[in-house]
Amino acid sequence: MKTTNKKRLTGVDIAGVAAIAAVLSLMQAPALAQTPAAHKLADGKPDFNGIWEALNTASWDIQDHTGQLGIPPGQGVVEGNEIPYLPAALAKKKENFANRKTADLTEANCFLPGVPRITYMPYPFQITQSAKAIAFSYEFAHALRVIHMEGQHPDPNSSLDTWLGDSRGRWEGDTLVVDSRNFNDQTWFDKAGNFHSDALHVVERYSLADAGHINYDVTIEDPKVFAKAWKMSMPLYRRMEKNAKLLEYECVFYLQEKRYKDAPFTKK
Amino acid sequence: MSRKPSRTNITFGVILTTAWLGSLMPANGQAPAADKSAPKATTPAPALARTPDGQPDIQGIYARRGIWGLADDEREANGPRGKEDPLEDDEYSELPDNPKPWFQGSGKNFAQGGGGGVTLVGPAPAEPRRFGLVDPSDKILPWKPEEDKKRRDFLMNTNPPASLRNVEYDARCSLPGLFLNGGPFEFIQAAKEVVILSEYQHYTRTIHLDGRPHLGSNIRLFMGDSIGHWERNTLIVDTTNFNEFTAFTRTIPYLSDALHTIERFTVVDRNNIDYEVTVDDPKLFTKPWKTAGLYRRGKDYEMAEFACAEGSQELVNIFGQPPSR
Repeated sequence: MKTTNKKRLTGVDIAGVAAIAAVLSLMQAPALAQTPAAHKLADGKPDFNGIWEALNTASWDIQDHTGQLGIPPGQGVVEGNEIPYLPAALAKKKENFANRKTADLTEANCFLPGVPRITYMPYPFQITQSAKAIAFSYEFAHALRVIHMEGQHPDPNSSLDTWLGDSRGRWEGDTLVVDSRNFNDQTWFDKAGNFHSDALHVVERYSLADAGHINYDVTIEDPKVFAKAWKMSMPLYRRMEKNAKLLEYECVFYLQEKRYKDAPFTKK
Repeated sequence: MSRKPSRTNITFGVILTTAWLGSLMPANGQAPAADKSAPKATTPAPALARTPDGQPDIQGIYARRGIWGLADDEREANGPRGKEDPLEDDEYSELPDNPKPWFQGSGKNFAQGGGGGVTLVGPAPAEPRRFGLVDPSDKILPWKPEEDKKRRDFLMNTNPPASLRNVEYDARCSLPGLFLNGGPFEFIQAAKEVVILSEYQHYTRTIHLDGRPHLGSNIRLFMGDSIGHWERNTLIVDTTNFNEFTAFTRTIPYLSDALHTIERFTVVDRNNIDYEVTVDDPKLFTKPWKTAGLYRRGKDYEMAEFACAEGSQELVNIFGQPPSR
């Protein structure tokens, strides 16, 4: 539109603008019903409460992969598919892949799987959101992350390291941003050997696409392993079943029942 | 025993937000008769905050005290009492004729049940609380004789463990059930649910207040399936669907999958919640019994990560390395 036209606005033009505005607002009405406005808590924050689950094959391999016996095929969740490994780290990843049956501590020993792997394992998780704390509770190994909305990460140079990180949350508009550090170097991103060091820094972004979907975006930084930051992205699906509930997948217990079934072991 | 969940009495809740009446409620939740001792005008009445869906707001950090038979709050406050007989306070479950010690370490410490990391806030309730076994009043559990014998045999085979089954839950890093943990707990509340987070074993216990039925009977859980409702300031929680792997104390090393509990969390004041559990396990006992304790609020506290299986060598130490897989 030419600027000269603006100078010639007539009453009719103004009425037309008003009509357009009215139409626009009508068009927005159904859109509003889908946006967080209808799905917000009393404190104005989007309502993430409920049971969620990823629906992809990232747990097996976060990158593109073909199906194999016991491995469902899948398109990757890594933005651009390629992970910017440093040369030595790429060799390590290949070694991990070769040794994955025993070297993946989650698969072999039921150890806590780290972040974000815990999110996209094929088990549901629960978000409980109050003004005071946000808890992410996972069916796998009854893992729990409490997202602290206040405070700072422990000193990164301290000896403190954790399996699921120290997680600090903040709101950027309607997006819950969870910043996690203080990881150990024991967990992988998947069963395919993609890994990180104790310098891992994970930033997760949770935003409601609609009442039933979360857009989940993750930024991975780890200067010891990657040449630059990289991203994963996937939808998370609300479990819509009536009375959806986290049950218990007691991986450690089941493994003990298998390994120590015949204990005490008779010495030969 | 099961109660139909009822809606929170929101009308009553609104009244309570302006006048603190909870302290006038006896633990049974019934309205008091005219109570002369009530601190009406003299004591400032703390308002009981409400969550957006009208529940009494009990969010925060807690430690749980004394459901294992301890005599009084004084003992709790004084903590472990050195090297005294760890069974002394455990009168309702002791094994007087046990010729062989079955325990390791201090049973008293165990009974204290942790709570480490929690700095208690405010005084305990003024009036004496009821701790430990409160029903039956003779403090003798109504064991079925044959089940009591099985239990004693079981305990005799726990040191050293005769099998994996005889290994205590904490050596296995497994979920502890409802009883074997003193905290720190963090209570958070969302619409139609109360969620209890535990630092110990990093578990989550969700109490559903939305009127749903219990799970189907083929689903078995360490923590059971909990549905609840509020009656004034008492949260009543009905839990079923337990497996047979959770203990009450070291001397009650397992309960059965017939276990059915009814817990009553009665808000006494801002910092204290009376706690009472009815334990109904018809496979093991001739009748239900009841134990009581207290949840006490702690200062804000960030629960640490409690990785257990990731570092535990307990089973290897007990049994040696399992044959290679």
